[in-house]
Amino acid sequence: MIQLKTMLNCIDNSGAAVVECVQVLKKKRPATVGDRIVVVVQKQRSFGADSTGNSGIANKVRRGDIRHAVVVRARKELQRPDGSIVKFDDNACVLINKAGEPIGTRMNGVVATELRGRQWSKILSLAPMHV
Amino acid sequence: MANSSSILQQLGCFRSLVSRPNTMLQTPSVAGRRMLSTVWSAKPKPVPLPKELPEQFLAQLPHRMRPELAPKKRKIPRPPPGPACKDPVGEVVQRQLKKLDPFGKRRELFDYRRHARSVKPGDIIRVTFKNGDPFSGVVLSIKLRGVDTSVLLRNQLTRVGVEMSVKVYSPNVESVEIVQRTEKRKRRARLYYLRQPRHDIGSVENIVTKYLRQKRALTGGVKSNKKR
Repeated sequence: MIQLKTMLNCIDNSGAAVVECVQVLKKKRPATVGDRIVVVVQKQRSFGADSTGNSGIANKVRRGDIRHAVVVRARKELQRPDGSIVKFDDNACVLINKAGEPIGTRMNGVVATELRGRQWSKILSLAPMHV
Repeated sequence: MANSSSILQQLGCFRSLVSRPNTMLQTPSVAGRRMLSTVWSAKPKPVPLPKELPEQFLAQLPHRMRPELAPKKRKIPRPPPGPACKDPVGEVVQRQLKKLDPFGKRRELFDYRRHARSVKPGDIIRVTFKNGDPFSGVVLSIKLRGVDTSVLLRNQLTRVGVEMSVKVYSPNVESVEIVQRTEKRKRRARLYYLRQPRHDIGSVENIVTKYLRQKRALTGGVKSNKKR
């Protein structure tokens, strides 16, 4: 149930920590796992010397940036075809560019397997764990 | 004088009496008029058809009265014979259970009201699926709903709480193992309070890996799941 104003955790190393949903794409309903959304970066990750920037792990996004993202975890329970239900304790997303490739190179945190069927296999392979 | 006036009055009265029928005839009062529709007449009694009506008069009868066009008697099918099933849904559930769980092992494992050695809320269990990836967690609740019986598991993976409700009789569920039983019987059937941060057990992965190592040592390194 990710909609306008929902705050999500960003679980990649693009530099964003908390983002806010401003639009759900290709859908008239709230977004769930595997849906593409537009977000505004609200809080960025601080990597020690963040002012110098070019120290290997530079933030690729800054506070106030508008980016696309894919929802990878949702608090709202998600029913699988076999009847089992999966739900997470938080809402989380991964930033992507317009072409659909992830901006970050690493991910930390579990993601839902539903990403596989929806062209997000790359994100699924980057994730350390999936349920 | 008085006499003459009274006579005149009488005369006047008389005149009016005489003249009234005339005025009535000229302008009849509205109340006195009657519409045709309000005229009541008794319903004419239906005249029965004569028994032997000659053939040539049949064409003059209205359609509904013609003997060959009279509405036919409708046939109402009788209910099919056979033993009536008192509880068809229950029957289907029983049939499904027999098919999905022929030896009643799953039922024994999850029907906590009837079996003392079953899984109980607060236990840690590990469920292995057909596609290979297992899921382990604390049992928050067991919903006993016949063939739709499900168990709600909670765990923390990469420090994110994950809950999974598994249909116990699903053919996708390959095996269910009890990793650890609760030390003390929980006083609640639904342990939803474990979602609160102050009650959260956290990750059960350590307990599960320890259990798996023990099991491997006991079974001599052969990886085999206790099938239930």
